[in-house]
Amino acid sequence: MTKASRSSDPTSRAALAGAGFTDLEKARRLWAEPALVEIADREVVADFGVAADPDLALLLLSRLLGSDDCPAELCGALMADPQRRRRLFRMLGLSAGLGEILLRHPEWYEVACDEPSWPSAAQVRAEFLVGVGANPDAEFPTAAAGGPETYVELRRAYGRQMVRIANADLNSGAEVSDITAALSEVADAVLDASLAIARAEVPEHDCARLGIIAMGKCGAGELNYLSDVDVIFVAEPARDDVDEAVALRVATQIAQRLMNVTVASTVEGSIWQVDAGLRPEGKSGALVRTLRSHLDYYQRWAKTWEFQALLKARAAAGDVELARAFVAETRPLVWSASRRPDFVGEVQQMRRRVEQNIPNKHAGRELKLGPGGLRDIEFSVQMLQMVHGSSDITVRAPATLAALEQLATWGYVGREDARALSEAYAFQRTLEHRLQLRSLRRTHMLPEAPEDLRWLGRSLGLKPDPGEELLKRWRAVSLDVRRLHEKLFYRPLLNAVAKLEPGQARLTPEAAADRLTMLGYRDPAGALRHLQALSAGVSRRAAIQRTLLPVMLDWFAQGPDPDAGLLGFRHVSDELGATPWYLRLLRDESAVAERLALILSTSRYASELLVRAPEAVQILADSTAAPPTDRGALVAEMRAVARRHRRADSAMAAVRGIRRRELFRTASSDLLHDLGVESVAEGLAVITDATIDAALAAAVAEVESVRGESLPTRLLIVAMGRLGGRDLSYASDADVMFVHDPLPGTDPVAAADVARDVFNRVRAGLSVPSPDPPLELDADLRPEGRQGALVRTLDSYAAYYQRFSAPWEAQALLKARPLAGDNELAEQFMLIVDPVRYPAGGLTASDLLQMRRLKARMESERLPRGVDPRRHTKLGPGGLSDVEWVVQLIQQQHASRIWGLRTTSTPEAMAVAVAEDLIPPKDADRLMAAWRFASSMRNANTLVLGKPSDTIPSDVREISAVSRVLGYEPGQSSDMLEDYFRTTRRSRKAFDRLFFRD
Amino acid sequence: MDKQTEFVLRAIEERDIRFVRLWFTDVLGQLKSVAIAPAELEGAFDEGIGFDGSAIQGFTRVTEADMLARPDPSTFQILPWRGEKDAVARMFCDIALPDGSPSHADPRFVLKRALESAAADGFTYYTHPEIEFYLLRERPAEGGRPVPVDDAGYFDHATLGPAHDFRRKAITMLEDMGISVEFSHHEGGPGQQEIDLRYADALSTADNIMTFRTVVKEVAVERGVWATFMPKPFRDHPGSGMHTHLSLFEGDHNAFADPSAPMGLSTVGRSFIAGLLHHAPEMSAITNQWVNSYKRLAAGGEAPTYVCWGHDNRSALVRVPMYKPHKSNSTRIELRSLDPACNPYLAFAVMLAAGMKGVREGYELPPAAEDNVWNLTDRERWAMGLRPLPGSLHQAIEAMEDSELVAETLGEHVFDFFLSNKRAEWEDYRRQVTQFELDRYLRLL
Repeated sequence: MTKASRSSDPTSRAALAGAGFTDLEKARRLWAEPALVEIADREVVADFGVAADPDLALLLLSRLLGSDDCPAELCGALMADPQRRRRLFRMLGLSAGLGEILLRHPEWYEVACDEPSWPSAAQVRAEFLVGVGANPDAEFPTAAAGGPETYVELRRAYGRQMVRIANADLNSGAEVSDITAALSEVADAVLDASLAIARAEVPEHDCARLGIIAMGKCGAGELNYLSDVDVIFVAEPARDDVDEAVALRVATQIAQRLMNVTVASTVEGSIWQVDAGLRPEGKSGALVRTLRSHLDYYQRWAKTWEFQALLKARAAAGDVELARAFVAETRPLVWSASRRPDFVGEVQQMRRRVEQNIPNKHAGRELKLGPGGLRDIEFSVQMLQMVHGSSDITVRAPATLAALEQLATWGYVGREDARALSEAYAFQRTLEHRLQLRSLRRTHMLPEAPEDLRWLGRSLGLKPDPGEELLKRWRAVSLDVRRLHEKLFYRPLLNAVAKLEPGQARLTPEAAADRLTMLGYRDPAGALRHLQALSAGVSRRAAIQRTLLPVMLDWFAQGPDPDAGLLGFRHVSDELGATPWYLRLLRDESAVAERLALILSTSRYASELLVRAPEAVQILADSTAAPPTDRGALVAEMRAVARRHRRADSAMAAVRGIRRRELFRTASSDLLHDLGVESVAEGLAVITDATIDAALAAAVAEVESVRGESLPTRLLIVAMGRLGGRDLSYASDADVMFVHDPLPGTDPVAAADVARDVFNRVRAGLSVPSPDPPLELDADLRPEGRQGALVRTLDSYAAYYQRFSAPWEAQALLKARPLAGDNELAEQFMLIVDPVRYPAGGLTASDLLQMRRLKARMESERLPRGVDPRRHTKLGPGGLSDVEWVVQLIQQQHASRIWGLRTTSTPEAMAVAVAEDLIPPKDADRLMAAWRFASSMRNANTLVLGKPSDTIPSDVREISAVSRVLGYEPGQSSDMLEDYFRTTRRSRKAFDRLFFRD
Repeated sequence: MDKQTEFVLRAIEERDIRFVRLWFTDVLGQLKSVAIAPAELEGAFDEGIGFDGSAIQGFTRVTEADMLARPDPSTFQILPWRGEKDAVARMFCDIALPDGSPSHADPRFVLKRALESAAADGFTYYTHPEIEFYLLRERPAEGGRPVPVDDAGYFDHATLGPAHDFRRKAITMLEDMGISVEFSHHEGGPGQQEIDLRYADALSTADNIMTFRTVVKEVAVERGVWATFMPKPFRDHPGSGMHTHLSLFEGDHNAFADPSAPMGLSTVGRSFIAGLLHHAPEMSAITNQWVNSYKRLAAGGEAPTYVCWGHDNRSALVRVPMYKPHKSNSTRIELRSLDPACNPYLAFAVMLAAGMKGVREGYELPPAAEDNVWNLTDRERWAMGLRPLPGSLHQAIEAMEDSELVAETLGEHVFDFFLSNKRAEWEDYRRQVTQFELDRYLRLL
């Protein structure tokens, strides 16, 4: 008993609050009205607690009891039978719309109060037809009269049925499918009665037979309270003496009248719209066709989706024999549709549509279209029916819940999954129904206001905080459904190859291959082999894989190359499967698994790094992983690791291991977070610097320990080229020069031998084949190129540059940067090269001429044959080389005067050149835009292909993967090309102006 | 399947059509055709018909040769000259890449993109061309000279006959193909004809021009004569132009019309003209794309040489026809530089883009040229700020090379291909030793 029962006043505020009233003052006023005073009893008040909105229920009840038409016995009936009054309170507290109907027709109170009845479809039909004055048993039941008065009769009958079904819905614990079936039966009866009215309005109506086929939700017997009713009309002459054209004309008139009957507004409102838009040729096709004409259309012209719509076709009203013939004759066509060549494509398109159909704005509140919403479930079930129903007649039920049941029964989806999904579907449909009943309007939106949520929660009997509880349950359900693709689509694939647990779905190999193809895998047989290898067995490992793989398969399918993703995952898992943390990490941290899937299905480069040393997966656990920026820290780590090894080769192997880890960190954060090309370059420079530095230290230590004394010479490694400029790409070699300077009093020849020995150990150690990627040190930019000595003394460099240096060598020196070795030697070396690279007074006229000619010749000679120059990121027009040569020309011309230009970095030098008015800002912007685009294009090439390439790929699949890496959507690769060509064309023009004109 | 596609599939069965020609246009404006059997058509609608794009001027490089032609069912027509028995039909195609995305090399796509851009501002674009061409006695052999069908003289009825008959036949065929003809007459030169097409949206008009050229050539061959759209086949007779009337509509309303404004021309109309004028030199290589095109422009008469506009001024680049009160929906402007040998898709696209740039950026329209600019002295024109149009293909190429507008409108691929093709044409031309030189120098020097 509630508190109210202990109080002497049955309508005390406490009693009212206990029953769930919120506006207590208003409630008290209402209870004081004469109509209610009679029933103001403690128990009656408490019974309002069953209403979703007690205030609304009370208001409506007061108006009902206060109305003149109110049957006298109602009061007594309510007092006498708690069951009956609770039923009424539930309805009044739920729906102002139903309340309005009862206010217009208080005489129907029993329909709302009594034990819900379940009349048969035939009874319902007869009731409607008799209601409009037609004979249910006639060949052509015809209403007594057409016109608005009969429309009102029809609406009354409909309103009464709504009250009956709502009563059953709220008070009988009926399943959602029972309610939707009842609503569909009523819809059939409305169609029949409307047809009877239409016939009364059309002269000569009896010369045409007219069958009505329900489609869509009504066809499937799962109609909402408020939704359009989809139909198709089929007609034939009623007698042999009637011409087909005449019959069609008359039938069309009847159909048009019929559609008007249900929508015309009257004092009793309207019913719903009859929508014939699914007919052949849609809105522009004939409204009514003969059976033959329908079949002709479906046999010759219909699209796959139209057959799919036919799946729901059901003979609903009118000439049932004719309607049934339509259904029977079209049914075989439905399933032959799946043998069409474009079938798989259309299915995939549908799948994308489901995912794209989610408008972001309302996504959080949409019951129907939101992620994990009703449409999601319906489409997924239909897609599975399309894939498997063509070869299996047992999974062809039209209704969503029934189809799900069948798919589970015959092993196409897991039984548990199907059950959970059915429950989710029923829950969401119930929410939708309650919202629609509230004001008898069509809506699919979960309300936002707390009081509305409370109302909805109470209508489901949720406690203690109904609104909060509702949101909680709804979120849980949609989250559950959101993993729908995984459960429905992928898990049975696994069971196709794995040991079956009881109650699990099992696909045949053929069915599994069909499904994988639909999901975008190009080699289903290979994919199945990998699945088998990964998930077979009874080990714990296999068990975890079986829960993991369904999700992973979905993520792979979203990447550019699903097959490569799965293959990579198998390699990594084969390596790491036995490590305890690996599968646990993927299982517990789904973000890690998702990142892994994206990387494996996108980048061959990153996949190869990972497959060689899979423990780097751990890097993915850090969502903020970024390329290294602190050279000192990395050097310290590498040196420390190197010191633990006595032999230089094993020390260097350890250093290379760290390098590989850092490369993977850089590549993966690039792929996941779309790093700018500058941070990638900087990260790669830090990694390369530290690696060379540590390798040099290890080589020196080993040579010293072999010799038993310190080195007789000072050493220096100078970075050149892109390494010198710190704008490395994934594919760059390391350009270097080796310098040494014998200590005073040592034998120069012996010193040179030692220096060469050390440098050779560094080169060999970094490039000797091993599981880690090699770092090739390329010394071709040294004096005299490949003909010159690999190692020179400081003095030799000085002598060479003073005497011989060609303009291109001076230009190459612009990138010279001391990288590792003796600091003092570094300073001395830079003093030698500075005057060469920054000539006082700029370039001479003849040097300038030479430089321009060299550039012009390079373009024609160095481009590979058969390559479209515009697709060459390095040497193509407006590409990297153009931009860099402009900057280098300006550096050589002005750096002796402008100290800011003395940098090896292209972007830095460009910025200074702009600040110093040497390059117009607009030109600089265009050059840098092209430089960045070309650099990231080259990096994307390497990431996707796993090998260096300066050319934009022409293979369709490769270019689309590259465009995805660069942030374009699927299918936008030609936009990427267009953008690239525009950017480089502009940069080329700036280059022409700046480089070739004085 | 949409209704139009169904219509086509049905028509093919009902009319007993034996072949369907899929038409598309290369970057230089030449019509290309692939014939397929009706059985292949459904597949063509769904997926397109594959072909080797590297064989088509300007479409692709060899490495990415595979392309798809996807017929546009709304362009379905039966070819009347192929007879009713074993009929042949044609459809224009859009060109796609194997992944289904549209090809940036397809001139039709270039125009569609320009139209979409204008549509984003609420405008639709209509054009109406007056196409001139010559009828010759026979197909000239290489090195031969053109002989007009009626070079006996204008008023000789005996020879006027065949040409008149020719026009009637050509017009009937055009009408059979759903192309409405507004007007036709014998033009100034001997054997020269003019046929004006009714105004239509720019994409349909461009399709119609492609059809027109084919129909005219077919009818000529049928009658044993030769039709040429070469811009200037005779030194001493007027060239063949394609004066084109343009208008923009916002819904049902003519955006160029403003009955209260001078000449009935709205602000949009004025800025549009300003755009055309401002960008005229850089789009000249598109509107007048051949070496020979500039021979026509040099001759004057009905062909413009200076960038200016005028009210009913036939020497101006842009002419605003006489305004008719109460017929504001027929308000339009006429661009007089085009010749009938252009690629109509590209030409209409750059014209629209130039005009729209004027509209979007509110270009000011310079004062109208009242006089026949041909009669002015150089200094007068200089004083009035009248810039010349490019005098040769070479000058036109140079003007286009620097044009962001043309590059953006054509897209990078077409822009690049077009320029390199035209440079090559100019280089070829420069190496020629012409009859002019031989006549003038051989004996003298």
